[in-house]
Amino acid sequence: MARAEKRLWVVGASLAVGFSALVLRAAQIQLLNGGAYAARAEAQRTDSIALPARRGAISDRTGVPLATTIEIYHVGVDRGELRDPGSDIPLIARQLGLSEREIRRRLRRKYLHLEGPFMAAQVLPLRGHPGVYLTSDLIRSYPDPDFARAVIGRPSEGGRPSSGLERELDSLLAGAPGQAVVIKDGRGRELESPGRLQQFPVPGHDVMLTLDATLQDIAETALSEAIDRLRADGGDVVMLDPRTGEVLALASRSARGASTTNAFTSVFEPGSTAKVFAAAALLEADLVAPADSVWGERGTWVLKHRTIHDEHPEDMPAWMTLADAIAVSSNIGTVKFAERLAPPQQYRMLRAFGLGAPTSVEFPAESRGLLPQPDRWSGTTAQSLAIGYELAVTPLQLAQAYAVIANGGLLLRPALVKQVRDARNRIVYEHRPEPVRRVVRLDVARSLSAMLRGVVAEGGTGTSAALRTVELAGKTGTARRVGPDGYEPGEHTAVFAALFPADDPQLVTVVKLDSPRGGYAALTAAPLTRRMLEQALAARSEGLDRGPMARETSAPASGPRRRDGGDRTRHVVAWPPTPVADSTPARRIPDVSGLPLREAVGRLHRVGFQVRTVGLGKVIGTTPAAGNSAATGTVVTVRTATRGGP
Amino acid sequence: MAPRGRFWLILWLGFALGVLAWVNARQTASVMLARDVREARTARAAAESERATLQRRLRTAGSREVLIPRAEAQGLRLPADTEMVTLRRAPARRR
Repeated sequence: MARAEKRLWVVGASLAVGFSALVLRAAQIQLLNGGAYAARAEAQRTDSIALPARRGAISDRTGVPLATTIEIYHVGVDRGELRDPGSDIPLIARQLGLSEREIRRRLRRKYLHLEGPFMAAQVLPLRGHPGVYLTSDLIRSYPDPDFARAVIGRPSEGGRPSSGLERELDSLLAGAPGQAVVIKDGRGRELESPGRLQQFPVPGHDVMLTLDATLQDIAETALSEAIDRLRADGGDVVMLDPRTGEVLALASRSARGASTTNAFTSVFEPGSTAKVFAAAALLEADLVAPADSVWGERGTWVLKHRTIHDEHPEDMPAWMTLADAIAVSSNIGTVKFAERLAPPQQYRMLRAFGLGAPTSVEFPAESRGLLPQPDRWSGTTAQSLAIGYELAVTPLQLAQAYAVIANGGLLLRPALVKQVRDARNRIVYEHRPEPVRRVVRLDVARSLSAMLRGVVAEGGTGTSAALRTVELAGKTGTARRVGPDGYEPGEHTAVFAALFPADDPQLVTVVKLDSPRGGYAALTAAPLTRRMLEQALAARSEGLDRGPMARETSAPASGPRRRDGGDRTRHVVAWPPTPVADSTPARRIPDVSGLPLREAVGRLHRVGFQVRTVGLGKVIGTTPAAGNSAATGTVVTVRTATRGGP
Repeated sequence: MAPRGRFWLILWLGFALGVLAWVNARQTASVMLARDVREARTARAAAESERATLQRRLRTAGSREVLIPRAEAQGLRLPADTEMVTLRRAPARRR
């Protein structure tokens, strides 16, 4: 018995020890390591996924979509999971537009991945099909891939925007991705579940550009046709609303048909189109009277260091006023008048017209052009500047400068973005005209406009641009082209800048052709301008208000009012919207301390200074210091907290 | 004593069953809803891709590059400015 009791005690003790061990182990798992095991289990059956944000759309000023975001799919096929490969494979091939034989061949392996991209409509019948796995992705779609391509820009290989407005406005367009947790099965597949949304994706803002799709189409088509016909090396067209600074069309093409950003980035010597700036300086300083005239030297004027020629002197008056010199584009007449200007006067006026400084349009890597300061001028620079040499401008800068004459003397910042709306369709930004400075008095602007009408009138150099029903003002310019070894013989840049119509202009157009085989601007750029304006008049473009150009009166509006908006008054613009800077050359240097470098530079440019930067980061001060007064065009050095660079 | 204990047992079991059924119904409804949402999202994506395709075709068909050669092949041409008449709207009469 004693032995039996002993055995019973041993069994009982063993059971007690075993049970205690189980309890202790359970306590260890549950109490001590419970958190870690729970996290492991959570990680095995759930996954955290990023929910991509929809990139904002880009449209023209009338809502025509230029860039949108669409959902595309990649398709995976698991051979082993297909229920009936005999009918499944033909369905997959038919829906995806692929060859059945190709899919069968590639399905010899266990899993087939088809990158696509495939549209949602294609893969819709395959959704839920056993053995077919769909992965969605958001990509950028451009309804007309070549339309304003260089302006809008494109994503790079990695999907990030690498150029144009897509890059410049990326922070607005991109939105913010969301995050969610999904449940997975034992094989790692995501299960149909509501998903645990941790953060909603925030869609990007929609951007409405100032571009007018119709005018842009006219500009691009006419430019391409002209480049082909004239066998030019390339060309640019800029159309600007001088009342608001909004860019309505902007096209740049190379000879091979590629869309480029040259209107923003490529500079050229403006030639005779710059004569009007010398005239502006003379009129603003009251250095010339309407009846003042100079001797034309019969087309050849020999000076100490150079000889100045006029083309076709037989067509020019022997004695010419300033208006005559502009109308017939006389180099000699313009230089003789410009000699009345002191170099600082001449420089300040060119600088006031925005030359030698970026326009601050919303485009990355814009060129500032070239305008030497008077202390770097040679003995002939003043003469060269008067006739558009020794300085370089972009087509956009030239259009901005001519807009000054068109709108009565104000320099406006050109704009490409008209409106920005958030995902809830609320307007977060709307473009308002941004006057930079008053360049010339109103009466001077009117005098300059009258001179430009003379260019297009009988006897002027721009008669081939003239429309018969609407008066035009403009200026031709044919400048020698610079190559790697200096001026290239026989190569010219033909430019025509126009104000349309001459009274209360609605459009400023700049047409530039590089080395056209047709000769001077009067024979190439000017007729191209006329063709584009004729097409603009005939088109259903909202960018033009044809009312002021009307010649005949319609029947009295006695009937019922049209409800389609045909009788509304369009383009009512409050003007000027804000007080503008006066024409006094000296300006107060604004305090830009604490601002980001980009913003500080933009603010100084808008006041009229040239800017030199030292280092990167936040601005700590300027030289000359804020509060001091300095002449327009003065170089202001911006110092930053982080020193760097040269 | 015994019937009272059985009564409580049945009551608790019934309550547990009810809770489980409620949870199950909610889960099922959620899964169905998730499926509907996904299908609606897919349908929207399909409609958007269709819209993008149509927009692309419209832009191409309506561009001058396509229209002008076709019009010229039909004997049409772009008008000169002298061939266009813009009518000025007469001021509305006062009542």
